[in-house]
Amino acid sequence: MIEETTTGQITTEQPGRTAALVLDRASVAYGDVPALEELDGVVHPGEAVALIGPNGAGKSTLIKALLGLVPVVRGRIEVLGTAPARARRQVAYVPQADTLDPDFPVSVEQVVMMGRYRKIGWLRRPSAADRAEVAAALEQVGLARRARDRFGTLSGGQRQRVLLARAIAARPRLLLLDEPFNGVDAVSQHALLEAMAALKEQGAAVVVSTHDLAIAHLACEEVCLLNKHQYGFGPTESVLTPERLRATYGGQALELRGDRVIVTRT
Amino acid sequence: MTAGFLSGLFEPFHLPFMARALAELVILGALAGTVGVLVLLRRLAFVTDTLTHTVFPGVVIGYMLAGDGGVFWGALGAGAVTAVLLTLFTHRRRVSEDAALAMLLTTLFAVGVVLVSRRSGYTSDLTAFLFGRVLTVTAEQLVQTGVVTVLVVALLAVLRRPLMLRTFDPEGARAAGVSVGLLDLVLNAAIALVVVAAVRAVGTILVIALLIVPAAAARTLSERLAVIVPLACLIGAAGGWLGLAVSYEAAVHHDLRLAAGGTVVLVLVAMYGLASAAGFVRRRRALLRISHEVVREVEPA
Repeated sequence: MIEETTTGQITTEQPGRTAALVLDRASVAYGDVPALEELDGVVHPGEAVALIGPNGAGKSTLIKALLGLVPVVRGRIEVLGTAPARARRQVAYVPQADTLDPDFPVSVEQVVMMGRYRKIGWLRRPSAADRAEVAAALEQVGLARRARDRFGTLSGGQRQRVLLARAIAARPRLLLLDEPFNGVDAVSQHALLEAMAALKEQGAAVVVSTHDLAIAHLACEEVCLLNKHQYGFGPTESVLTPERLRATYGGQALELRGDRVIVTRT
Repeated sequence: MTAGFLSGLFEPFHLPFMARALAELVILGALAGTVGVLVLLRRLAFVTDTLTHTVFPGVVIGYMLAGDGGVFWGALGAGAVTAVLLTLFTHRRRVSEDAALAMLLTTLFAVGVVLVSRRSGYTSDLTAFLFGRVLTVTAEQLVQTGVVTVLVVALLAVLRRPLMLRTFDPEGARAAGVSVGLLDLVLNAAIALVVVAAVRAVGTILVIALLIVPAAAARTLSERLAVIVPLACLIGAAGGWLGLAVSYEAAVHHDLRLAAGGTVVLVLVAMYGLASAAGFVRRRRALLRISHEVVREVEPA
């Protein structure tokens, strides 16, 4: 395991050589049921890609495939220069906050510390360095003052920020976010976007699934339009066109206002 | 009055068989309290109930093959098999989980009842398996309980981080490379071991209370896992002690025969009542404190 990680790191020391993410005619399936077909695209370190498509389009499935939790049946997915399951140690996943039990007796600080578990191991006590990472991650999402509070007492948006802080504390080279902006207030949205930008500046790549096209415009260099198949993958400005969006969303309504595109879900 | 109460807590246990019963119940209470916190957080009460019923035929078969000494091993065999079956069941969601579990539970329980009904001392045996006989616990059984306790607590301590991550955020745990299926098997095995250890003292039916009640009581008293686990452990042990003392006091001084296992459970439930009352007051206070703070922030003095 250790050798693998080191070799992975060595290959990425050469700048511009290793893409964070490569999809090469990749098809993903749950057993016999195909979920996503023929995906193609590349994301480089320091870039963000927005996964856009209607509910049930396979955005979460793609994220699971990038974690090696759903098998690639045809083609190839490469994460940080290796197979998805092997890259996991350097990938951080941020689930939707409202999927987690708000009654769970765990503090904000403890949730963020979970991001350090892989570095701490099973038995060792968290070191001063681990605590410093946790504090810094909470600072980055603007929740340092809530460190000791119980996770469930925070608002939905704040919980989402805590989960992002947990990912930051793991120091990932690839960050995967599943619908982080759903039902999130403006303050939290701003904090999430800032923290994402900071991670990108440090050279991490970001994959974020979202319904919000404005956020894709604001925060992502690349867009991947998904609905079972790929309806486009490339620079945001050229891919997020009304025609392609209509094709992706099929019959669902679409409103266009100036340079902002709003998808109304039915 | 106080002196009488205190002597009631200590005096009965000068008798060797009472001392063994006390040690058994205190160890069991502590063990079940610890494992119970995970049962509570994972909402596994029904799975646990299934385990308590499926261990029953193992107990009967063990007893039929090797007498009293076979009970532990029979329970252990049945516990191991059902821990594996349950893990597989809950990981394949094809059949409605509840229906599948209910079927497994009643089928195996019926197997036990049918087997035990073929024996001549039918009702007495059945009562012993279902409700336990804590007063006849032997030194050897005590050692078995002790070994199981050390084993389970050590296992959970070593795995506490992956267990916590899996309990709080299963998707996140999978994403982090945690083997969720294996961890679930470990927890189901731990629950099965508690049931196995508790069979002779409190029986297969009442052990569920030992697992659920102390953990639930501790949860109402604290928001912190580092407090909840030792507290549940303590409440479980105290419930065992107090329940046994009450049942002895009633039998010896008031000519009232109260089954030890049942008394322990009732004492635990009473402790839960007290804990939730205390928890209610605590939360009200916290709420008041927060609203005061809000008022202070809105209208600076």
